[in-house]
Amino acid sequence: MAKNRPIKFRILELFLDKKEHWNYEIVSKIQEEYALKGNYNRDSINFDIIELASGGMLKDVEQRVDEEGIYKKGFLLHKYVITDFGKVRGSDACLRYI
Amino acid sequence: MDLQALKRQESKRKISKGYMWALFCAVFWGIWYLPGTVIWVLNPFDEMYGLLAGKEGEAVSLVVTAVLITAFNALTVMLALMLWNGVLGKYGELVRTLKEFNPCSKWFFLASIFGGPIAILGSFMAMGFIGGAFAAVAALLYPVIGSVLAYYWYGEKISKRAALGILVIILGGITIFGGGLVTELAVGDVPWIGYLGGLMAAAGWGIEGAIAGKGLDISEPDVGLTLRFVGENIIWWIILVPLLAIVGYPMYSFALQAFEPLTLLVLIFAGITFGFCYVCWYKSFPLIGVGRGQGIGNLYGLCAIIFIFLFFGDVPEWTILLGGALCVLGSFIMFTEEPSELETLRGE
Repeated sequence: MAKNRPIKFRILELFLDKKEHWNYEIVSKIQEEYALKGNYNRDSINFDIIELASGGMLKDVEQRVDEEGIYKKGFLLHKYVITDFGKVRGSDACLRYI
Repeated sequence: MDLQALKRQESKRKISKGYMWALFCAVFWGIWYLPGTVIWVLNPFDEMYGLLAGKEGEAVSLVVTAVLITAFNALTVMLALMLWNGVLGKYGELVRTLKEFNPCSKWFFLASIFGGPIAILGSFMAMGFIGGAFAAVAALLYPVIGSVLAYYWYGEKISKRAALGILVIILGGITIFGGGLVTELAVGDVPWIGYLGGLMAAAGWGIEGAIAGKGLDISEPDVGLTLRFVGENIIWWIILVPLLAIVGYPMYSFALQAFEPLTLLVLIFAGITFGFCYVCWYKSFPLIGVGRGQGIGNLYGLCAIIFIFLFFGDVPEWTILLGGALCVLGSFIMFTEEPSELETLRGE
């Protein structure tokens, strides 16, 4: 596991299982692993996911409204899956050392 | 609120924020040419230039003085970005990223070679010898170099629309460089080093972008950009400035004299504007796409001309105005493609 590696490396590594993940699942996992508490860090990690998606490494596959306030009440939740390009970049960055 | 309405609201918010960052980038980048031009007439740099010009000739003097100015620029940019990372609480991530030399940070150090001693040094040379407006507009040619490199290195496609944009930018470049040259050839006094500096700015930034992208897409840009400037500081302060001092240029005695209030103020102003134009640029990319981000960012050419006019009262040659307009038009043609076209441009 890529502990103490850059956050985007770890996010890509989590997606390398090729399964679909909701953004709030990834964000809370990273917050816990890196001991990054608070709303500011939550939004910052979420922006990392948005950047990975805009770089073509993750794909936004499903959205739903956060009715229960699981992440941010009344906002959209996004589900992502890794792309082929993301697999290449992710394994370049993460798997070389494993 | 239903899903569709929320989606529309989210994308609207993303787009307006993205355009805001890109516009900030253009304004900061344009303002940077003010301190960049002013610094040449301030102590100790004007004294250094005068002293060396008497001994070694104007050309050598200009390049050596530009080295010291660029080195100080790199230093203040790095300090501004370090402060920024401190405010964002990203020192932990900075160290984590620095340690990943092979997959990540080596690209930032490589990029700094092209960004610093080629692009930024070239810009200062162009500002010193020809003027801020020329320096700003000449660098607008960088997307041409960038996309040709991306085509050869990682097979990124160049669409018909992008090719048309490149053509318009090249026409603009010919106008900018050719227009000045024609009048100067007639007079018989051509500031070749200034033109070389303009070309260095365009080529250096094009190459820098293509290389830095490899590290930036898997790191946080705030952190990545800081490392890119750490690399540039190593190049200047640990390699090139000592090397020039060993060869016999009075680098250190003039460097120490830079700690005057007005000079420091101008250098800090340069550091803040240049550092934050990079930060804003990269913040805009995930929100509106790299293409639109760069297209809007390139408005810096116009911003620079406007600020130089407002602060110095200089009206540039009509060839620079026309060429600059063509370059901005070309970058809009090149970068404002439909998102569906853009998505397939990369990787697959």
